[in-house]
Amino acid sequence: MGRYLLRRLGFALLLVLVVSSASLLLTRLAPGDITSDQALSLDPAAVARMRAELGLDRPLAAQYLSWLGGVVQLDFGRSLLYARPVSTLISERALNTAVLAVVALVLATVIGLPLGVYSGSRSGGIGRATVRVLSVLALSVPPLIGSLALVFLAARTGWLPVGGMTSALGADPSWAHWLGDLARHLPIPALALALPLAATLERLQAQAIEKASREPFVAASRARGLGPVQAIVRHAWPVSLRSVLGLYGVMIGSLFSGSFVVEVVTSWPGLGRLMYDALKARDLYLVAGCAASGAFFLAAGTWAADALLAFADPRVRSQEAP
Amino acid sequence: MNRQPRILLSVLLLSLFAFMGWRWWSGQQPPNDSGTEIVFSDASTRGGVLTSSLRSEPRTFNRLVDRNFPTDLISHLTQGKLIRINRSTQEIEPALAESWTASADNQTFTLKLREAAWSDGTPFTADDVLFTFKAIYDPKVNSVLASSLQVNGKPLGVTAPDARTVVVTYPGAFGPGIALLDNLTLAPKHKLEAALAAGTFSKAWGVATPVNELVSIGPFVLSRYEAGQRLVFDRNPRYWKKDASGAALPHVDQIVLEVVPDQNAELVRLQAGQIDMMQQQVRPEDIATLRPLVDQGKLQLLELGVGTDPDLFFFNLRPQHWAKDPRGSWITRREFRQAISHAVDREAFANTVFLGAGVPIWGPVTPGNQKWFSPNVPRYGFSVDKARALLAGLGLANRDADEWLEDEKGTEARFTLLTYRGNSSLERGAAVLREDLRPLGIAVDVVALEQGALVERMLKGDFESIAFFFSSSNLDPAMTADFWLSSGSGHIWNIGQATPATEWEKQIDDLMQQMTSSLDQVERKRLFDQVQNIFAENLPVIYFVAPRMYIGVSSRVGSMAPTILRPQLLWSSDTITVRTPAPSGQGGR
Amino acid sequence: MTRRAALFVATLAALSLAAPWLAPYDAGLGFRDFLHAPPMRPLFQGFSAPVVHPLVLADRLEQRFEADQSRTLPLPWFGGATDQPVFLLGADNFGRDVLSRLLYGARTSVGLALFATIGAVVIGAFAGAWAGLRGGWIDDAVMRVADFVLILPVIYVVLVLRAVLPLVLPASTVFLLVACIFVAVGWPFVAKGVRAIVVAERDREYVQAARSLGAGPGRILVHHLIPACFGHLVVQATLLLPGFILAEATLSFVGLGFPDPIASWGTMLAEAGNYNAVARFPWTLAPAVAIFAIVLATNLIASPDRKLSPGRKAGSAA
Repeated sequence: MGRYLLRRLGFALLLVLVVSSASLLLTRLAPGDITSDQALSLDPAAVARMRAELGLDRPLAAQYLSWLGGVVQLDFGRSLLYARPVSTLISERALNTAVLAVVALVLATVIGLPLGVYSGSRSGGIGRATVRVLSVLALSVPPLIGSLALVFLAARTGWLPVGGMTSALGADPSWAHWLGDLARHLPIPALALALPLAATLERLQAQAIEKASREPFVAASRARGLGPVQAIVRHAWPVSLRSVLGLYGVMIGSLFSGSFVVEVVTSWPGLGRLMYDALKARDLYLVAGCAASGAFFLAAGTWAADALLAFADPRVRSQEAP
Repeated sequence: MNRQPRILLSVLLLSLFAFMGWRWWSGQQPPNDSGTEIVFSDASTRGGVLTSSLRSEPRTFNRLVDRNFPTDLISHLTQGKLIRINRSTQEIEPALAESWTASADNQTFTLKLREAAWSDGTPFTADDVLFTFKAIYDPKVNSVLASSLQVNGKPLGVTAPDARTVVVTYPGAFGPGIALLDNLTLAPKHKLEAALAAGTFSKAWGVATPVNELVSIGPFVLSRYEAGQRLVFDRNPRYWKKDASGAALPHVDQIVLEVVPDQNAELVRLQAGQIDMMQQQVRPEDIATLRPLVDQGKLQLLELGVGTDPDLFFFNLRPQHWAKDPRGSWITRREFRQAISHAVDREAFANTVFLGAGVPIWGPVTPGNQKWFSPNVPRYGFSVDKARALLAGLGLANRDADEWLEDEKGTEARFTLLTYRGNSSLERGAAVLREDLRPLGIAVDVVALEQGALVERMLKGDFESIAFFFSSSNLDPAMTADFWLSSGSGHIWNIGQATPATEWEKQIDDLMQQMTSSLDQVERKRLFDQVQNIFAENLPVIYFVAPRMYIGVSSRVGSMAPTILRPQLLWSSDTITVRTPAPSGQGGR
Repeated sequence: MTRRAALFVATLAALSLAAPWLAPYDAGLGFRDFLHAPPMRPLFQGFSAPVVHPLVLADRLEQRFEADQSRTLPLPWFGGATDQPVFLLGADNFGRDVLSRLLYGARTSVGLALFATIGAVVIGAFAGAWAGLRGGWIDDAVMRVADFVLILPVIYVVLVLRAVLPLVLPASTVFLLVACIFVAVGWPFVAKGVRAIVVAERDREYVQAARSLGAGPGRILVHHLIPACFGHLVVQATLLLPGFILAEATLSFVGLGFPDPIASWGTMLAEAGNYNAVARFPWTLAPAVAIFAIVLATNLIASPDRKLSPGRKAGSAA
């Protein structure tokens, strides 16, 4: 078991390294660099000096090696665009992405699971049909489309603010004010992310409940005189939960990718938006840093999911161990 | 699978409902804000907080090493100059120098400094001026101001006979005279001397510097910088300037600059009243969005006049670029560029690209630059027939079955046009040009690039044609000589030539040199009119339309002196006032 | 299910191929006096062909139009001059007909997705079958690579890959390059399932029988194992297709896909990224509706009980 998890961990680290190195090297190969937009107004000699100062005139291998040396000490270099260390930028923005992702995950869970329990425990009726239709519809709204539609709705009606994570709050917002403001900016991006996930959860939970309800011990509990709702909540649901848990690992991955486009559409100042800006400005250390942290979060999520699954389901371990 | 039909049916029903709902809803007017009446306290001119926005964060607080807009804006708010050009009147005004005298040859200026102090109480003296010049001319500092404080490529001489007097000597005659010193942003010697001595000046006052390490001599002090969020500026109690009634400036207590990276988000914040003004003009297509707020009296839409930095279009005129390309024989010819000018209906261009909010132009100087604009330059106006005749004269004719022309050797009349991505007026302009040249049989491949990638190609000369814009901070052509002189780094169609490549470029060089060193303003204007004529005839850069510029400001802001150059309003941040809502009106905005 | 999926894919392909005949105008044709003109509502009068009232520009700066009630125009399919355009789905930022661009855009977007799907399915099928058949270190290596690609942060990789390629590329090259990138990230979804099926099938009697009759591995693969996976392949294709359509939309939306004059659903949506414009001109969201419809159709076809197939991840990744 330990060995299995260790192996998955090594795999994850390799992934982070490969992704970030590749993006650094690739960005370096692309035309243009950060000095380009300054160049128009500076004389060529000054641009050359600026390149030298930023270390952009060194050969590719030398740049890569010095960057790699820093990475070992968790130093991803300085962002040329923001003139700040890449690691602080990333930790700031990753926090914003995390806020968005966690809220979306909670939202998806809160919407998806109860509805799934409900529709899975019914054998028919208008309620179940409605849930199913809604679920198929929500499943068909990927984050790109969902965020565009929600932004349109908000811009049209003025119910919720569009764009960004907070309003311009002035110099000294109180905590309550700030939190309230954040809460008004969250629904659009969070819903855009959460809707398809909630639908996925609902479908899976419904199936799991259906299956669990057919288990003999649930029928037996009914026979002991337990009401249908109690039978499901007390017996069927805990059993069904195991298969639902396995989905969370996958969801972390899709949340992460989905948040990129949602952040771009709604100007949410997260990791995705940072990467987008860095790519546009050809800020190579920042691109590499973003890719590395992206790969890291994804790998960590997958690893956590693997671990969760391994604890829950012994077969996984035995299958993987050679 | 027996539920499938039912699901489908429900989906259909649901979408029908949704559609009906939408029809009903789109029939309704979009709901307005509750629109609570705003009650302003009596027109007090002092106090209040002005909130504005900033599209990108500063890379440094040191204006001597960075010319980007955020740093420039911060220096407008916190730093000072000896003299300044009043952006709205174009007159030279005293600033930290309260008076000056010029020598007879107008090459030596003796400036008398006023009693003033940095925000930490340290007196401002001639030493600060000497120190600033030393830092700017230090090659290790690599100052962006160095090239803009030169005359004929040589630095200025500076001496200080006493602590309140500075003597600046120009190495040659210079037409704009003392106005050149508007480029000089002063730096505090007591704070930055150590960095200059240690050779770390270019990194000093980076954005990581604690704000209490910074000192200012302008109307405001930076009191807080939250990276990625906002910059907060408080009134500088030691600011030297008084208003007409003798009250200390600035009027407002605080200026907050919210970092809003996205132009659309910025507009939304202006609409919602969260910011009082944006830091750039309102795009023509956004005017309709703001109009309802103007009608409700919440917003003022100021028309600043015709822009002075119009979008421009030019071909690569470096002979070496076309050496192996058969198209070079006609693409670099003046007649080809004149034909393109003839092919574009500038009125229609203005209608499409700027939704009608623009005026046709024929050269780089627009009517917005009243002092230097020449209305009588040669024009190659809309005429498809003339364009066809010019192209035929170049040997371009349709020699095969397709819709495009070919030259004598059979090469298709086709070129690539690079432009900035995400700039709506440039992208639309490029599309209009493509469509206007198509009926003539000239194919244009438009490629939108990120700004950095495009400029890189331009500097390398790796392009066929470019449509873009750049902003200049000065209206006097002598201060933008880089663009006009064939040796200049801003001579975009053929950068940095050792000797002028063409006869007309040599003529422009000569005229510009005379114009720069002449001290007679009428003579300078006459010489520059000639430059404009030669330019408009040879069209190294083709101009189509200059847009009218608008800026949106909350109606609570007053006493503004809007100008066409950035920062349009905050260049005179000390005299701006804001009205504060009375307590009863709270929540109205 | 297989037949329905095939029908769906065929309809999409036919629709996108038929764009030049169905679209009323050329995708690049801009009407300069009709920037952001709203959709015109067709009027049905008895049995004659439907007509519309032409639009007249009321305010150029504010982009307001009024319908001229006194005149009518025939729909473009029933004749009519092109200087009086008819916009059934409104016009975009350049005065181009959104309906025409939607149809031409289908050719680009759906065409690209179909092309990439076929590529991913073919490569994935062969890689998976090869791994399953050979077993041993080949199996190990192929599956490792597939695992690795599966957990890559796909959108970041695609972005970086596309960003480093030269931007000045003809549309056909962009098409091929983007398709190749999509194939590269899409094949493992197919390969994993195929390998599982092949591993299960390779020891079955009919394969043994074929082998004993002297069939080589290639023949067994093509004639026996791949057909056994057919159902799986169709399901995977149905799941990958909308994922790729979305991925193209995302790429073009952020400016790394097709260049502007090419009509694709992503380049059309890029305009909708401006939320002030979207609120005023909701018809520019038409491609979003089209994408929604395709994803919905896919979800209905690939029975709603197959939510956990790996293709879902590809879909949400975009």
